[in-house]
Amino acid sequence: MASDLLSIARSGAMAARIALDVTAQNIANASSDGYIRRSVRLEELASSGGFQRIGDVSLSGVRLGGVIRNADVFRQAEVRRTGADAARAEAEVAGLENIQSAVEQSGVYPAIVAFEASLRQLTADPVDPALRAAVIEDARTMTRAFNIAATSLDAAGNGLRFEAADGVNQVNQLAGELARVNLHLARASSASSDQTALLDSRDSLLERLSQYTDITTTIAADETVEVRLGGASGPQLVIGGSAAPLAMAAAADGTIAFTLGAAPVTLAAGSLAGKAQALVKLVDVRTRLDIVAAGLIATVNAAQAGGIALDGSAGQPLFAGTDAASFALAFEDGSLIATAPSGGGAGSRDPANLTALRNMLGTTDPAGALDALLFDISSNVAGRTLTRDALSAISGNASIALQAQAGVNLDHEAVNLIRYQQAFQASGKAMQVAATIFDTLLAIR
Amino acid sequence: MTVIATSTSAYFDRSVQDMASLRARAESLQKQLGSGQKLARSSDNPLAASRLRTLARADSLATIDTANAGHAAGDLKLADAALSSFAEYIIRAQELTTQAASGVLSPGQRAGIGTELLAIHGNLVALANSRDGAGHALFGGETAGQAYALDGAGNAIYTGTAAAGELALGDGQSVKRSLTGPEFLNFAASGSPTDLMAVVKSLGDALQGAAADPAQAARDALGSLGEALDAVTTGQTQIGARLAWIDLTTERRTMRSEMNAGEEAEIGGTDMAGTIAELQQVMLVLEASQASFAKLANLSLFDLLR
Repeated sequence: MASDLLSIARSGAMAARIALDVTAQNIANASSDGYIRRSVRLEELASSGGFQRIGDVSLSGVRLGGVIRNADVFRQAEVRRTGADAARAEAEVAGLENIQSAVEQSGVYPAIVAFEASLRQLTADPVDPALRAAVIEDARTMTRAFNIAATSLDAAGNGLRFEAADGVNQVNQLAGELARVNLHLARASSASSDQTALLDSRDSLLERLSQYTDITTTIAADETVEVRLGGASGPQLVIGGSAAPLAMAAAADGTIAFTLGAAPVTLAAGSLAGKAQALVKLVDVRTRLDIVAAGLIATVNAAQAGGIALDGSAGQPLFAGTDAASFALAFEDGSLIATAPSGGGAGSRDPANLTALRNMLGTTDPAGALDALLFDISSNVAGRTLTRDALSAISGNASIALQAQAGVNLDHEAVNLIRYQQAFQASGKAMQVAATIFDTLLAIR
Repeated sequence: MTVIATSTSAYFDRSVQDMASLRARAESLQKQLGSGQKLARSSDNPLAASRLRTLARADSLATIDTANAGHAAGDLKLADAALSSFAEYIIRAQELTTQAASGVLSPGQRAGIGTELLAIHGNLVALANSRDGAGHALFGGETAGQAYALDGAGNAIYTGTAAAGELALGDGQSVKRSLTGPEFLNFAASGSPTDLMAVVKSLGDALQGAAADPAQAARDALGSLGEALDAVTTGQTQIGARLAWIDLTTERRTMRSEMNAGEEAEIGGTDMAGTIAELQQVMLVLEASQASFAKLANLSLFDLLR
């Protein structure tokens, strides 16, 4: 079969046109989310010599071998893995910061110190009504501060659970879309522009999914993806065209657990895991705050019971409630504070019972316990913030590495534009040469 | 073929990330300068925050100690002034008793002296019932009522508690805020316990005719009054020592609070010079990176291809 210069030039012009189209598409999508740079693979079209036609020149030009997506599967997997870790750390730190400000900003610590201080001031003159009123007011401030801390912690917990529930919805939605993309992918023909667009949306969906949870992906020969949660042997979230539903259940103490289909699943990364971890810490902090409150209530009430009020009657409990949320004043009359020991008589200035109360508070040391609690939370936040910063730097680098390889570089595209334009012009020139040759042949007389 | 190693969007993303982190650093430095505090939240430095909490607690308790020391010093000064008055009355009683002891006075003149001594007795009882800064019995210990009460015969009976109340001065130190009446009014006259008011009362009564030999009674009482003056002077010495003790603890507390304030400033305060220099540096880097970003982002091959 002989060569045809005109059709070779035609195929060259066509290929250059397609390459220019792809370049223009790249430029247009330079900042599209999840778009992966395409390039064309051109193949020479030539037949090898056949029987008794050795040495024959049989060239037919060029053809489009396929549109290549410059996606590196390893880098994509890295982006997903590091992204899930960073999202987990981010969610955990955000939750812990909320817990920290709930306990710190509510001013429980300064309120306890103020209560201690006003008790100490009362020893100067135990029968002074102004000093007694100051103790009552500081005690009231302290109970309110504990109430506020408890309410803020509850609010932080509710917020975390709400966000986790929203995250579960997002995961289910993304899994559903992924299943649909899988169905389309199974039908798309290889290396078509249809398939590349589907692969883009598949990878972009996987990346978004990895923000919520850790996923393990297996890509089949037909480019469909199987997604597992909670490690390589965990239950399947997406297989082929079907997605299993992820569900969340909150325990009585406020911590959350996840189930996929019916199987329980433990998430190790992603924002859902971070929120679950923050909730565990929240329960711990809440418990310790309740212990401090209960200790205060028990200590002060026990001391009250050991003394007598200003009018000589037996001391009544100053505080009501059993934990931080129910912490409240039982009476508001300063004269009922039992400063004098039993048997002191009405109007006694003997501060023995007050001293006993202060000694008991010194032993229980609620301010010290709260300081330890605040230190625990804040050092948790500080440590996790370091981890988070490291993980987001790693994740940022991974995504820049992916972008560097898979993203569109406008300079690169400008060069391609010139290159394929010149190729197109050169093919046109080849057509002109073919025409000139033909004219030369026709001109033979 | 690779023109530059990264994609356009990665370049923009990275530039934005770098400039945002510089901006965040500059803002946090500005916040430190604006608030004068190095720590905005505990998690900025958990250990320092915990130390600051402890220092703040010590500060607020030290404020109470200072107020208590003030109360105690005030009460002790009141007691000191009252004791000086006691001493003056005793000296006046001694003068009168010396006159009454002389044999040349007529019984009528002795009776007149007796009347004045009884008036002094009334003043002594009133003085022993003085009030402290908070309106309680100054010499009654921790009693709710008066320190001394008069019985049917007009004798002053101590009704207060056995010891004066103590006030904490911080660091486990405390001071007795006053003396009880018996601590400086009671003494032993020729082996038997008595008190100033009883001596003056019985002498007054004796000079008015209760005793067979009033001049002898006056001579006997002179010795007792001398003992009484000694007891009051001893009381004043005790008060002086307590005031000196309060001064000492106050000085100590001031030093402690200065040290605490110094530590607070060191841990929690912003080091102005250092922070401003750092801010300047960050701003310089930010400006440079903004300028270089603007220049580099303008470099497009498309501008050159025509």
